Amino acid sequence: MTTTTKNDVKSEPVSRRRRKRSRASLFSQGEPMVWLTGGGLVISLLMIVGLLVLVLFHGMGTFWPSELPRFVTKDGQVVMGEVTRQQRYEDEDSGGRKLVRTGNFDLSGEHFRWIDDSSIVDRTLPPWALVIERTEWGIFYGFPKAFIFEGETVAADPAGVYEKYQEYHKEVSERRERRRKLETVDVGKVNHVLEKARLAIKSAELKYGKGSPSWERATKAYEAAEQRATEDFKDIRLKIDALNRSNARYVMLMETAQGQEKQVPLAGIVRAYPANSLDFTGRTTIYLARWIEFLVDEPREANSEGGVYPAIFGTVVMTLIMSLAVMPFGIMAALYLREYARAGTIISIVRISINNLAGVPSIVFGVFGLGFFCYFIGASIDQLFFAEHLPNPTYGKGGVLWAALTLALLTLPVVIVATEEALSAVPNSMREGSYACGASKWQTIKRIILPRAMPGIMTGMILAMARGAGEVAPLMLVGAVKLAPELPIDGIFPYIHAERSFMHLGFHIYDLGFQSQNSEAAKPMVFSTTLLLIGIVFLLNVVAVRLRTRLRKKFESAAF
Amino acid sequence: MAAVSTVFVLLLWVVFPLIRPASLGSEHQLEPPFRNVTPLHTQIDEYRTMGWSLLPEGRVAAFGLDDGTVLEQRVVFPDLKITAEAFSLTSPDMILGFENGNVAFGKVTFETGFLDRQEVSDEVASLSVGELGRIGSAMVQRISREQFRTQRLSLSFAQAVQGDSDSPVILVDQIIDGTDRVYVVFHEDRTFRLVRAEERENMLTGELTISTESATLPFAAADREDLPSFLALSGLGDSASIAWPDGTLVRYNTRDFNRPYIQEIVDLVPEPGGTLTVLRFLLGRTTLLTGDSTGTVRAWFPARTSSTVPGSDEDHLRLLTAHEFKGDSPVTAIASSSRMRMIGVGRQDGSSDIIHVTSHKKMGTLHPPAASGPVLDMMFAPKDDAVILGYRDGIITWDLDPGHPETTFRSLLLPVWYEGAAAPEHVWQSSAGTDDFEPKFGLIPLIFGTLKATIYSLLFGVPIALMAAVFTSEFLTPRTRSRVKPVVELMASLPSVVLGFLAALVFAPVVADMLTVFLAVFVTMPLSFLTGAYLWQTLPHGWTIRMQNWRFWFIFIPVPMGMGLAFLAAPILEGVCFGGDIISWLDGQLPGTWGAWTFLMLPLTAMVAAWLNGVRVSPWVRRLTSDWSRTRCAWFDLARFGVTVFAILAGSGALGGILDLLGLDPRGGVFGTYVQRNSLIVGFVMGFAIIPIIYTISEDALSAVPEHLRSASLGAGATPWQTAVRIIIPTAMSGLFSAIMIGLGRAVGETMIVLMAAGNTPIMEMNIFNGFRTLSANIAVELPEAVVNSTHYRTLFLAALVLFLMTFVLNTLAEIVRLRFRKRASEL
Repeated sequence: MTTTTKNDVKSEPVSRRRRKRSRASLFSQGEPMVWLTGGGLVISLLMIVGLLVLVLFHGMGTFWPSELPRFVTKDGQVVMGEVTRQQRYEDEDSGGRKLVRTGNFDLSGEHFRWIDDSSIVDRTLPPWALVIERTEWGIFYGFPKAFIFEGETVAADPAGVYEKYQEYHKEVSERRERRRKLETVDVGKVNHVLEKARLAIKSAELKYGKGSPSWERATKAYEAAEQRATEDFKDIRLKIDALNRSNARYVMLMETAQGQEKQVPLAGIVRAYPANSLDFTGRTTIYLARWIEFLVDEPREANSEGGVYPAIFGTVVMTLIMSLAVMPFGIMAALYLREYARAGTIISIVRISINNLAGVPSIVFGVFGLGFFCYFIGASIDQLFFAEHLPNPTYGKGGVLWAALTLALLTLPVVIVATEEALSAVPNSMREGSYACGASKWQTIKRIILPRAMPGIMTGMILAMARGAGEVAPLMLVGAVKLAPELPIDGIFPYIHAERSFMHLGFHIYDLGFQSQNSEAAKPMVFSTTLLLIGIVFLLNVVAVRLRTRLRKKFESAAF
Repeated sequence: MAAVSTVFVLLLWVVFPLIRPASLGSEHQLEPPFRNVTPLHTQIDEYRTMGWSLLPEGRVAAFGLDDGTVLEQRVVFPDLKITAEAFSLTSPDMILGFENGNVAFGKVTFETGFLDRQEVSDEVASLSVGELGRIGSAMVQRISREQFRTQRLSLSFAQAVQGDSDSPVILVDQIIDGTDRVYVVFHEDRTFRLVRAEERENMLTGELTISTESATLPFAAADREDLPSFLALSGLGDSASIAWPDGTLVRYNTRDFNRPYIQEIVDLVPEPGGTLTVLRFLLGRTTLLTGDSTGTVRAWFPARTSSTVPGSDEDHLRLLTAHEFKGDSPVTAIASSSRMRMIGVGRQDGSSDIIHVTSHKKMGTLHPPAASGPVLDMMFAPKDDAVILGYRDGIITWDLDPGHPETTFRSLLLPVWYEGAAAPEHVWQSSAGTDDFEPKFGLIPLIFGTLKATIYSLLFGVPIALMAAVFTSEFLTPRTRSRVKPVVELMASLPSVVLGFLAALVFAPVVADMLTVFLAVFVTMPLSFLTGAYLWQTLPHGWTIRMQNWRFWFIFIPVPMGMGLAFLAAPILEGVCFGGDIISWLDGQLPGTWGAWTFLMLPLTAMVAAWLNGVRVSPWVRRLTSDWSRTRCAWFDLARFGVTVFAILAGSGALGGILDLLGLDPRGGVFGTYVQRNSLIVGFVMGFAIIPIIYTISEDALSAVPEHLRSASLGAGATPWQTAVRIIIPTAMSGLFSAIMIGLGRAVGETMIVLMAAGNTPIMEMNIFNGFRTLSANIAVELPEAVVNSTHYRTLFLAALVLFLMTFVLNTLAEIVRLRFRKRASEL
C-alpha cells in the first residue's frame, strides 16, 4: 500500500508522509492481535486433530498382537506379559516403570503388575510363549507343555502342541458355537412357549375368573406345555452333554513363566498364538481376526473382552426407529412453516420454540421420555394390553421404542431446520411455473417441490441420525443397559420386540470406562468402541455434508 | 411448539405434588373403647382395621376400628402392677417395669391372613369392598371381589427379669441392637441402671434365657433430689437422658458401657414458669422433641458446636435447639410418624397441629368438632395415612395425605438444619445405608455445580472460539476457510460420551502428573503467539505481504514453541510459586503464598499492561518513531513487548508480595486440594465441546456483516485489523452475544462429560482443583434408581425443570437477540 508512483518527485513533505504512513500501518495492522486470534483457531484445530489421532492410534492399536517379553527381576521374580504402559519417573533422569499385563488371573489373582525398569536384570522373548484368549478368566500367558487327547499325551514339544492345537481348534470351536446356540436360541424358544402358556392362564383368570372353563382349559394347556418343555429341555441337555463330552477330550497342558502347570481345555480357548515368533502376516491375520470378532461377536468377561455386536445392533435399530418417527413429523412441520404458514407473531413464536427445542439439554429429554413414554403411555399400554404380565412391566419401562421416540423428539429440530433449508432452496420460479400450468398447491408440493428438496431432507435425516447415534445421556434413563440378554429383533414372533431394552455403543463406552471392575483391561476396548462410534458418526456427517454441497451446487447451476 | 410445551407441562405435572399442601380428609369419631381408664399406650394396624391398648392393670385389649368396641382382652402379667413402660416407633418391641422392681420384654403384633370367598360366612361375604366386619376376635376386611383380609392380635411376652432393686420402676426405656437389647431403668429408690440383656435360646429345650449385665448411672452427680419424670435412651444406646418437669435435662454419655458419666445439663424450657409436659424421640431416636406448658415444641439434637475442639471425639457434642414451633395452648401430646420426620402436636384446648420438623412445613391444624377437652394421646397410622387423636370421651380419626412435606421452596433453595449438623446448610444427599436416614434435597449444591462447570468451561472455550471465529471470517483466504470451517463443525458432532471418557481416563491422569506444565501452557502459549507475531513484523515488509496468504500456516509454528517453553518453565514455576511440589502445596502441606499470588495476578497485570500500552505508551511511541523506518519500528516494537512482559512479571510479583504480606492465602478460594477429576479438566474438555457451537454461530454472524461495510472501511484506509475491531465486531456484536448464550445453554445441560470427569460430589467450593455435581449428572446418576412418584423422583424432575427453564431463558434470549441482529444486518 506504500507503493510510490511519484518516485521522481523527491520533495521532503511527500517522503515524510510516506514514512509516516508506513509506520502507522505497522502499529495499526495489529499483527500481534491477529496472531493471537489465529492462535485461537490453530489451537482448536490442533485439539481436534490431536483428539482424533489419539483415538485413532489407540483404537487401531488395540488389536495388534504385541510381543510377549519375559522379565527376570533383581529379586529373582519372573514376570511374563504384554507391556501396556510405560511411565517415566519425574525426578530421576534414568528409569521408569512398566505396567505389565500378567494375565493368568485364576492362578495369580491379579491382572496387571508394575515393574521398575531398574529392577529388571533380564528381558527375553521366548519363541514359544503363547498368548491364549480364554472364554473365562481372561488371558493366559504360558508355554505349551503337552497336548492331551482323551487323557493321553499326543504331543510334548511346543511346536507339536501348537500344531495339534491348530489342527483341532476349529472343530472344537464349532462344537462350542453349536452348544451356545442350543443354550440360547433353542432353550429360549422353549421358554418362550412356556411363558406364553403361563400368561394365557393369567389372562384367562383376569378375564373370566379362577375356575372358569377357559381358565381350566388354559391350565390344562399349560400342563401339557410344561410336559413338552421338560422333554425338550432333556433333549437339549443331552445334545449339549454330547458336545461337551467330545470337546472335553482335548486339553492343552500349559506351564506359566513361574513354572506352574495348568490344564487349559481346548473348548475354553478363543484364540492362541505364539506372540514372539509371529511374522508380519501372522500378526495381521490375528489383528484382522480380532477386529472381526469385535464387530460380530457378543461380549465376554463383563464386556471387557469379545465383541460389541449387540451394541452395534441396538444402536442401529434404535436409530432406524428414530428416523421413522422423526421423518414424517419433521417434514410436515417444515412444509407447514415454509409453504403454508404466513409470517406473523405465531410463526415467530413457533420458530423460537423450535430453536429452544434444539437447545434443551438432552438429559431433560431423557427425563421427559421416562416420565411420559415409559411411566405414562407405557404404563397405560400395559394396563390395556398386557395386563397378564403385571406387575412386571412390558412397555412401562425403558425400551428401544421409547428410546427411539425420545431421541426423535431430540432430533426433530435438526430435521425441521434442514428440511426448511432444502425447501427454501427450491427456486420460486419452479413453484410459479407449476401453478401456471394449473397444478394445485398440494400437487406442486408433491410433484415439484418435494422431489427437488429430497436430497436436502435426506441430509437432515442423516444429521439427525448422527446426532441420535452419538447421544447417550437420555438413553441411560429410557432403556440402554449394560448387557441385554436378547436383541430387539430376533426369530421369535413377533420378531420386532420394541419393548426390549438394548445395548448402545455410547452407553457401552460409559459403562466400560466407569462401571467395569477391571478398567485397565477394559481401556483398549473402550478405545476401539470409541473409534467405532466416532467412525459411524463422522461417516454419517461427512455423507450429509457432501450431499449438502452437491445439492447446493446443483441448484446454483439450475437456478434461473 | 407443542413438543416444548409438552415437555414443560409434563415436568410441571410431575413436580407439582412436591409443593402441594398436605390434605386432611374426612374425620371419623369412635366411642372410646375403655371407660374410666386412660390407656398407657395405643397402637393401630397398618390397614387401619383394629388397634390395641395397654391398660394400667397389665391388660392388653384389642378393639375394632369399625365401632370402637373391644375384640378381646388378655392380662399379660396377672400378679404384677405395671409402673413404667416404653415402646418403639418402628418395631413391636416393648419393655415394662413393675412395682417390684422387675422388668419384662414383650412384643405385640398384628397377624395378617387372607381368606377366599368360599371360606367365609355369608354375613362376611355380604360386605362390600373395603368394608370392615368381625370374625370372632379378628377383624376382616373385603379387599377385592375374591379376597378377604383378616387381622388379629398376637402377643408374646418373656418371663420378667429380676431388677437391681426391689423398689418400683418408675421410668424405663430400651433400644434393640441386633440380638442385644440395651435398656435403662430408674427405680423409686433412685437406683439408676444401664443394662445390656442378651437372649439365648437353649438348643434342646427351646427355652429362652436372658442374661444381663448392668452399669450404674451416677444419679447423685445430677445434684437433684426429686424424681425425674422423663427418661430417654438414644437410638445407638450411646446416651441416656433424664428430665424433670421444670425443664432440666441431664444427659449421660453411655458410649463406654462400663463408664457412663454426665455429659451435660440443659434447660429444655427457657421460658420462666414453663413446665416440660412431653419429651419423646423423633424417628431415628436422635432428635428429642419437647413440649411445654407455654405451647412451644422444640427439637433438640446433639451436634458439634463451634466451641468444641476440632479433632476431639463425640464427647464434645452438645444438645442444640434446631427447630422451634410456637403455639398458643400448652402441649399435651406429641405424635411422631414412623416413616418421616413429621410430628403431631396435641394441645390443651383440644386442637392439634401437624408439622414437618426439618422443613417446618405446617401441614394443617385439626380442631375437634365440639368442646372435647385436651388431647390425651395422638398418633399417626403406620402408613401415615391417618392421624388419630384420643380425647376424654372419644377417638377421632382424620384421613391424611401428607404429600411431600419434606420439600418446600425453602427446603429446596435455602439452608436447612438437618439432624446432627451444627447449623443450617445446603446439602444434597438422597440416600444412605440406614432406614431412618433422612434424605436431604437441597438443590443449591447442584445448581452451584452446574454454574461452576459452566463458568470454567466458558472461561476456556469462549475466548478461543471467538478469536478463532474472528480470524476465520476476517483473515483467512476463502479457500482455507472453506476447508477449516467444516473441520471445526465436525467437532460439534463428536459424541460427548467420547469427550467424557477421554477427559476422565486420558486427560485427568496426564494433567495430574503434569499439572504445572498444564498451568504454564496458559501463560506460555499466548506469549509464544505474540512473540511469533513480533518476529514476523521484523521480516522485510515485501516478504510478509507476499506470504500473507500462508500466514495462517506460520501461526502453527509458535505452538511447539509454547509447549516446549511450558515444559521448560514448569519446574521453575513449581519451584518458585508452589514450594517445589504443587500437589502437596495445594493440600496446604507446604508454606508460601507469594509465588502463587504472583501467578494468579498474571492475567490481571497483563490486562492492565495492555491497557496502559494502548492508552499511554502507544501515543508516545507514535510520536517518538514518527520518522523511523518500518523495520526499525518493528524491532522497537519487539523490544517494547519484551519490556512489557518483564513489567507484567514484576507487577504481578509486587502485587503478589503485597497480598502475601497481608497474610492472604489463595488456597481455600480458587485454589485448594487437588482431586484427580476436577473442574480444570471439565472446564478444558467442556470448553472443547462448546467451542464448535460458539465458533460456528459467531463466524456466521461475522460473515453476515454486509460486504460493503468491510469495503468502505478498507477503502477509507483502515487496516484489516482496524476494520475487524471497529466495524465488523461491533456490527456483529449481538450475533456474538447470542452465540455465547447458546454455548452457555449447551454447557449448562451437558451431561456425559461432567458425569464422567467431575467426580460427582455435591460440594460447594470454587476450588478449580476439586469436583462438583451438576443438575444433569445428578439426574443421570439417580433417576434410574429413584422410586416412581417418591419425593426423590419428583425432586429429580424438578432438577430437570430447573435445567429446562435455565436453557429456555438462555435460548429465547439468544434467539430474540439473533432475530434483531438479522433484521439490523439486512437493513444495513
